[in-house]
Amino acid sequence: MGSGKVKASKVVTIAAVVAILACALWIMANKMGLVAGYDFGAGAYYYTDIPGYEDIFRDDVYKTSVPYWVHVVLFLAWGWLMYRLWIWIDKRK
Amino acid sequence: MEKTKTVPAFWGKEDWQAIWIGFIIILLACIAVLTKAFDLSAVKFSTWAVGEAAATKAVPLAQQLGAWAFWRKLIVTVIVLGTLFTLGVKLQGQSVKKYIPAFLGLFVIALVVRFVSAEFTLNRYLEWAFWALLIGLLISNTVGVPDWLKPAIKTEFYIKTGLVIMGFSVLFSNIAKFGLYGLGIAWIVTPVVILFMWWLGTKVLKIDNKPLVITLASATSVCGTSAAIATGAASGAKKDDLSIAISISIIFTILMMVFEPMIIKAAGMTQLMGGALIGGTVDSTGAVVLAGNALGPEAEQAAVLVKSIQNILIGFIAFFVAVFFATRVDKSSDKKVGAGEIWNRFPKFILGFFAASLIASFILQPLCGSGSVKEINTVLDQYKNWAFVLAFTSIGLDTNFKEIAKQMQGGKVLWLYVIGQVFNIALTLFAVWFLLSGVVFDIPVLDLYK
Repeated sequence: MGSGKVKASKVVTIAAVVAILACALWIMANKMGLVAGYDFGAGAYYYTDIPGYEDIFRDDVYKTSVPYWVHVVLFLAWGWLMYRLWIWIDKRK
Repeated sequence: MEKTKTVPAFWGKEDWQAIWIGFIIILLACIAVLTKAFDLSAVKFSTWAVGEAAATKAVPLAQQLGAWAFWRKLIVTVIVLGTLFTLGVKLQGQSVKKYIPAFLGLFVIALVVRFVSAEFTLNRYLEWAFWALLIGLLISNTVGVPDWLKPAIKTEFYIKTGLVIMGFSVLFSNIAKFGLYGLGIAWIVTPVVILFMWWLGTKVLKIDNKPLVITLASATSVCGTSAAIATGAASGAKKDDLSIAISISIIFTILMMVFEPMIIKAAGMTQLMGGALIGGTVDSTGAVVLAGNALGPEAEQAAVLVKSIQNILIGFIAFFVAVFFATRVDKSSDKKVGAGEIWNRFPKFILGFFAASLIASFILQPLCGSGSVKEINTVLDQYKNWAFVLAFTSIGLDTNFKEIAKQMQGGKVLWLYVIGQVFNIALTLFAVWFLLSGVVFDIPVLDLYK
């Protein structure tokens, strides 16, 4: 890449970073996206970090007639296939 | 002078120590919850606020600090973590005399981090990982890290231990929580996004730092910080890599939590589809719940169901990343790597993470019921958080701003995340339309009112 293009790409990246940070700060300053009844936010990154997660992460919301083992087989088969694909992609120049 | 290591690897190596320390804490939590013989709860600050306490669920600081329970839990936390980590350090052949004051110093900084990150606004938008990094960076880049504190800076030790503890909360039974719909949305899309970002990062953008690429790819496609921590440790990512991946994920999560529901509403998507899209694309679990809630109760549950499946992917993806890096990335020649060499390179703590997940899913949950497992996980969650806060504070203390700027590779890392996230949204949207629009399959019914 020429030095002009490199400079332009740096300017675009810095402008994007500034815009993203400004937007995030604006959201925080205006307390957007929060729910009054919930004592957490995006800062609860994992499900067990959510206060009262037992009530939100319920086990009885959806019932399926497909046996559990079918899910497991499909899960493992897709995982294996994707792993092989990863190796194939990585080998390509 | 440090002593020569003479203890067997199982006791003396950090990887193995993370497993047995993690399992001791898990065992203690199980005994405490199941027998009710003692309270192992670790200390945490409740949300506090300046000025607007009445309008929130905030608990005034004076009330928190005035309660004996707070100080009792603080003592329990220091004793449990301090004893186990000190024992580990001794078995690693390092000086206990130097470690104990250093650990206490680091714990005090970690306590400040958790105090700051419990403030109402900061707590809702930015994770403690962010504040740990920031406070650590501020110390190291201003007054500097005193020599006496340095023996406690053991980032990987704390991260690996935290991950083994976290393994207990990765419940494999969640795989069928949303039937084949959930599996299709979460599990079909996630690895495809990871592979796309790997290709984009290593082949197109030519980023040499492969651990950074896979850490960022996992954070984007799985579930933000927790996935970044797990795959970062599995791939041997450097401290700066983890800082960058997590910082990018945290900032974009704030934007996505607010704007994604707005766009979904404007597009006229159903609650079920919108919620599933949010569950599959927004990184942090807390943000998923809130963004889903913004669309309605059905959207919130759909988002939670999809995210539940993504949460269990962490262990599998970390395992395959560890195998991939041991067999393909960390080798010096084109020769095929033997099983013995793979075993040597393999990060053993992943086995502990996996074992904890399997024990919780297939032994404890069937035997004691999901209620008990949830109660145990409530106790373990705080120990996991403390281990991670110690780790991220260590990263901040051990990093300077120039190193982080250098690792951004002229902005390539940012664009890798942005393009990867756009691809993630597009592919998840297609999966959601294919499975939940009613065009191809029947629309599933969620029972929201049991």
